[in-house]
Amino acid sequence: MSEQSMIEVQRGSLVQMLAFQMSRPQVYCSLALLSLLVLVPALSGSAFLIHIFVTICVFAALSTAWNIVGGYAGQLSLGHMMFYGIGAYTTSLLVTHFGLTPWIGMWIGAVLAALVGAAVGYPCFRLRGPFFSLSTIAFLEVIRLLSIHFVGLTGGSAGLIVPLKLGWAWMVFSEKVNYLYIAFSLLLLCLGVSLAIRQSRLGFYLTAVREREDAALAAGINNSQVKLKAVVVSAMLTALIGAFHAMYLTFLEPATMFSLGTSIEVAMFSLIGGLGTVAGPLLGTVLVVPLAELARGWLGASASGLHGVVYGTVLVLITLTLPAGLVGTFGPKVSRMIARLPGGNRRLADRITPSLRQISGTKGEDLIKTEDLVMRFGGLLATDHVSFSLKRGEILGIIGPNGAGKTTLFNQISGFLQPTSGTIAVLDAQDAYVSPTAPDAFARLGIGRTFQIVQPFGRLSVIENIMIGAFLRHPHVDDARAVALRVAQTVGLLDQKDVEARNLPIGALKRLEVARTLASEPSILLLDEVMAGQNQTDTMGMVELIRAIRDTGVTIIAIEHNMQAIMSLSDRIIVIDSGRVIAEGDPQEVVRNRKVIEAYLGEDFVDAQGF
Amino acid sequence: MDVLIQLLINGIMLGSMYAIISVGLTLIFGVIRVVNFAHGELLMIGMYAVYLLCTKLGLHPYVAAFPVIVLLFLVGVLIQRFIIQPLLDADEHIQIFATVGLSTALVNLALMVFGADLYSVTSPDIRVTVKLGTYNVLVGQLVMLGAAVALVVGLHAFMQNTALGRAIRATAQNRNAALLMGVRVNQIYIITFGLGAACVGLASALVSPLFPATPTVGTYFVLTAFVVVVLGGMRSMYGAFWGAMIIGLVDSLSAYYIAPDLKEVVYFAIFILILIFKPTGLFGFGRGTE
Repeated sequence: MSEQSMIEVQRGSLVQMLAFQMSRPQVYCSLALLSLLVLVPALSGSAFLIHIFVTICVFAALSTAWNIVGGYAGQLSLGHMMFYGIGAYTTSLLVTHFGLTPWIGMWIGAVLAALVGAAVGYPCFRLRGPFFSLSTIAFLEVIRLLSIHFVGLTGGSAGLIVPLKLGWAWMVFSEKVNYLYIAFSLLLLCLGVSLAIRQSRLGFYLTAVREREDAALAAGINNSQVKLKAVVVSAMLTALIGAFHAMYLTFLEPATMFSLGTSIEVAMFSLIGGLGTVAGPLLGTVLVVPLAELARGWLGASASGLHGVVYGTVLVLITLTLPAGLVGTFGPKVSRMIARLPGGNRRLADRITPSLRQISGTKGEDLIKTEDLVMRFGGLLATDHVSFSLKRGEILGIIGPNGAGKTTLFNQISGFLQPTSGTIAVLDAQDAYVSPTAPDAFARLGIGRTFQIVQPFGRLSVIENIMIGAFLRHPHVDDARAVALRVAQTVGLLDQKDVEARNLPIGALKRLEVARTLASEPSILLLDEVMAGQNQTDTMGMVELIRAIRDTGVTIIAIEHNMQAIMSLSDRIIVIDSGRVIAEGDPQEVVRNRKVIEAYLGEDFVDAQGF
Repeated sequence: MDVLIQLLINGIMLGSMYAIISVGLTLIFGVIRVVNFAHGELLMIGMYAVYLLCTKLGLHPYVAAFPVIVLLFLVGVLIQRFIIQPLLDADEHIQIFATVGLSTALVNLALMVFGADLYSVTSPDIRVTVKLGTYNVLVGQLVMLGAAVALVVGLHAFMQNTALGRAIRATAQNRNAALLMGVRVNQIYIITFGLGAACVGLASALVSPLFPATPTVGTYFVLTAFVVVVLGGMRSMYGAFWGAMIIGLVDSLSAYYIAPDLKEVVYFAIFILILIFKPTGLFGFGRGTE
């Protein structure tokens, strides 16, 4: 499908937009396929088929919920059944002891699971991949062992039987097809939540945090808060499913309710279908569960362990051959095919915001004031009593030999390093000086930074990368996209807007770095060697761009080794050597300073030249 | 008092068993930087192999150790060559899934072949009780303590004093620099995984006379081994050794003073606390959050 044949659809009223969505082949095809999950078993009336489809719906829902943490947030939980078990036990115990209907009990279970999820997630999120997984396993084991230990509450290893009160109020039926309706509704709920997250700011933020924590912080994202949201949502959904499944199974025991094996299976379905995709977990489940269930049905007890061997082998093979999963590998091809169906040649028209936020304020007032900044790394004094101030509206150049401590200084005034001593004061929107400590707090105050070594979100497209920045001031996806398009146009990346960032050449990546920061509409822009590794034309373009940015009211600090460029750009220059400020002033003054020449070219040179 | 000392002795004996298992895990993690979730299943394979060698060929378990060590070295080599090596540059979660998948497949394979029954190796000479004053120890436990100390000291000497050991250490510290210095990194990884698995081979021969083999025996031990490795700082042999001793003592003491079915809760709680508050391990040897 070429770009030209696309018909642009203007945004309309809610009803018009709904009609537009429903007439898209992606939407009507998905709905048609989904409805098969309930139509096939319901029409067949076979109890065995209904059982298999209930199981599919339950596991697909579990996997979809898991994917919000494991896929979107990239936190590989292998203890997710703790939430399922919490939902199941809470609901069953409330029915048994208080006669409370499961329809209410399941929500109490969900809230409990959310609390446990937050308690587990908050301390564990800073752990690296495998250690996060291990700690989730440890939590699952602890909960399982406790549930065995407290026999009085849970019935211990012997288990717990759900009271058999029939009817919709008690979620226990003799008519098995009713279970299917509930299971299917839960699956729809999980898919809906998953889709909504994927298409919202939270979804973008989760991807950003998963791909590069530092760049996410610089874009003003509170990393642990974002992950916490994901785990809370996922835990709640998982608990709801657990509650229903307990009513379906009518029997609970710690070994199956808090099972490590099942936790792994749920994660596995997502991997097979495609981690971090909306449809992946469902697809993985639909493909694998019937196989295992049928094998169990045909081979019976003689094949105990067979389905586990199949699961494990499939898992290893998928990691070796299709690590992106089925949707990740074949998804783009399939969606291109679907787009050829009637109604597929239309898309919503792009909206470009007319201009970025204009920065106002008194020219020349101090925006950042640092006093006696000291940064020590062991015996190394990387920043040695640095005091300077940044005045609104200026371009301040920071130069100095390699290893002088320029980037270390940047890291302190953007919150990535805490100075050993000294203070940093930043002027906030209420004209008061504040001293934030976390990088995302600096970003929210309007200090945007780029990284010397570019930090693109490799698997996102150029425009999505820029949107990550734009979300800071524009929480709605449509607005953020409109701003991002404007920024892409400003920095000259509009033609490449749909290219994945990892495929860009270095010059474009440097511009993308500036673009992402610019999209957060900062009042102060910290540029760390954005011209390094660029050719002559790109450098000229970058100089023009920086001037244009300054003209919108943005104050700029630039670290640069390209002397010609920085001298022509800067209003004022600070020279740093061995962590100390050795000279400060306008560019002409600084280049003639004896100390500066010494720092760059050595004492011998200075003496020989007779300065 | 008598009870306490007997519990401490039991703890040290248990600790030496965990030490042997954890040393292999530490070696693999420290060098290849892959957390081997299938490590416990190596133990399971080893224990079934010891069982078969003892019952079918009538070997003494300690004699069976030699072929089993070789067998597990080969299993380790195969795992590294065909599963881990192709995934060395893959995302971390893919590596986790690969070893988790391997673990699932092996546990269930054992279930299919051997069923859920317990298989015990009977060798009366190992289960003889030795009197240390008024306290009791099994011969097998003393052998295990000796083997644990010998293994840790021996591996340390090997790493420090041989060309291969130096190459392994260099690879562990910086894979690319080692590559540039002409170290065949892939070979080093294969040998390291083999060695790590061989340690488990030794463990399985020593454990078999004391614990029956079941398909899930590995899962039981490996979770403890992970606790030990994290406690020990993840890279250091000595760290793993002392970590194992601590967990052995915690296991033995909490089973008596708290409740037998809650001893795992106690050391999982320690595990979680260590990961969260002191990810470099108790002795500051490594990092869990880097």
